[in-house]
Amino acid sequence: MTKIFTNAGYFFKETFTMVRLSLISNILSLLSTGLIFFILAMVISGWWIMTEISEAIRGEAEISAYFDRDVSPEEETSLVGSVGRISGVKDSRLVDEKEAYGNMEKILGKDAQILNVFDENPFTAYIEINIDLDSVDRILKELDNMPGISYVRDNRDVLDRINSLTRLFLLIGYLVLAAAGISTLVIISHIVRLAVRDNREQINTLGLLGAPWPFIAFPFILQGLLLTLGGAILATVLSVFVLKQVYSQIAGPLPFIPLPPAQSVASGMAAVILSAGLVLGAAGSMLGLASSRGK
Amino acid sequence: MIQAEEVGFRYPDGTEALKEINLKIEDGTLVYVTGRSGSGKTSLLKLLMGIEFPSQGNLTVLGQQIVKGRNEGIRRLRAKIGPVFQEFRLMDGRTALENVILGMRFLDIPQKQMKEDAYHALSRVGLEHKVSSNVDNLSWGERQRVAIARAVVRKPLLILADEPTGNLDRENAVNILKLLDSFRNQDTTVIITTHATHLIGAVGDVRHITMDGGIMKQEEA
Repeated sequence: MTKIFTNAGYFFKETFTMVRLSLISNILSLLSTGLIFFILAMVISGWWIMTEISEAIRGEAEISAYFDRDVSPEEETSLVGSVGRISGVKDSRLVDEKEAYGNMEKILGKDAQILNVFDENPFTAYIEINIDLDSVDRILKELDNMPGISYVRDNRDVLDRINSLTRLFLLIGYLVLAAAGISTLVIISHIVRLAVRDNREQINTLGLLGAPWPFIAFPFILQGLLLTLGGAILATVLSVFVLKQVYSQIAGPLPFIPLPPAQSVASGMAAVILSAGLVLGAAGSMLGLASSRGK
Repeated sequence: MIQAEEVGFRYPDGTEALKEINLKIEDGTLVYVTGRSGSGKTSLLKLLMGIEFPSQGNLTVLGQQIVKGRNEGIRRLRAKIGPVFQEFRLMDGRTALENVILGMRFLDIPQKQMKEDAYHALSRVGLEHKVSSNVDNLSWGERQRVAIARAVVRKPLLILADEPTGNLDRENAVNILKLLDSFRNQDTTVIITTHATHLIGAVGDVRHITMDGGIMKQEEA
């Protein structure tokens, strides 16, 4: 280990010499690694944004509970409190007849004049319940058994669709992430294998001179690390640029989409890609060296 | 010291390269191993360096038994040997100085001393003016001298030179042999393989071994 530190300058110089001697091949490797990481960055950003959006949509999951006809206003307030204490209920509030009428007016828009047909307000008060989507079954069961509640509008179809959509996003995200990660690992190990192959004469000579294997291997590990790190930096710069463009295209014309802040997505994505560059670079180099050792 | 007892060596394809070699070489000896192509000279050197392993018999080099599987022992042995390869095996794209230093980097030698020793070794082989030259730009003879400097700079206990006089005229061949002999001392043994039997008399105090068909035919003091 001490020799690794005392020879640090040599290892870097040797790595740069190896890169310089096969410059075109190394530039192409850097670009292809950068491209792979760019795809990985786009997948991660897309996944992240979709997860945030679906979480925001899940956060909006609501059901409505309607009272029995004989429930007094005091009992209504008490029921709102009871509903709010059910596990999985994030928020519950009373929507009185007047607010219910106003909500319907908003929904109907220009067609709201149809409500004038009624002599008096046809809407009743209800409890608006904001819920954790994963607890929907249990909450509905408890509401069904709650005295004073006559009917629950659960929007079951919509909630189920949101649930399955978010699960699908997660699954696709994991699959693409795994595919991009494995491709990066395979490409890096292949690049290192090629570098080992290019330099096998040099490796043999060092072995014949009595150099220990870590001393021989270190410049190759460094080369793999620098290539992947370079590729990761390239991909990060490109991804941040693309992300900015995408945000400017979506955030302005489609303001209702609950996008997470661009800054946090960019910095999170950069951290993930640079860390992945380091880890996959080291792992790929080791893999490449291990598979070419003894050949 | 090098000691071989009934050593035989067969390549994986079945070719028998060495047969019943019995040999004892004391420290500080200059040994010429001569013989035609395919006589077993290079196979003997490969065994001495632990590149190949005896198929039979016992071989001990500088106290290390040459047996398959003793990788760390063989690596340590190689670090005590100064090899001059027939094809030099220099690192292209690096300077003469970098090539010479490379042979010492993994040994416990301080950086400053490595550089001083490398300069000294290059000046001993007459290349003090080519220290910073890229080895790709050196002549054949100069590359050979860099290879010799790389071999001797580590103050090895055994110098193994494979055909260092090949492609050289008599004068240059004698100069190379004298140069290699100049690194011999009471601890350092020099073993040279060569076709050039006519040069044996050119450098004195030599032990001569002749190989023929894998058999050590004669040994002269």
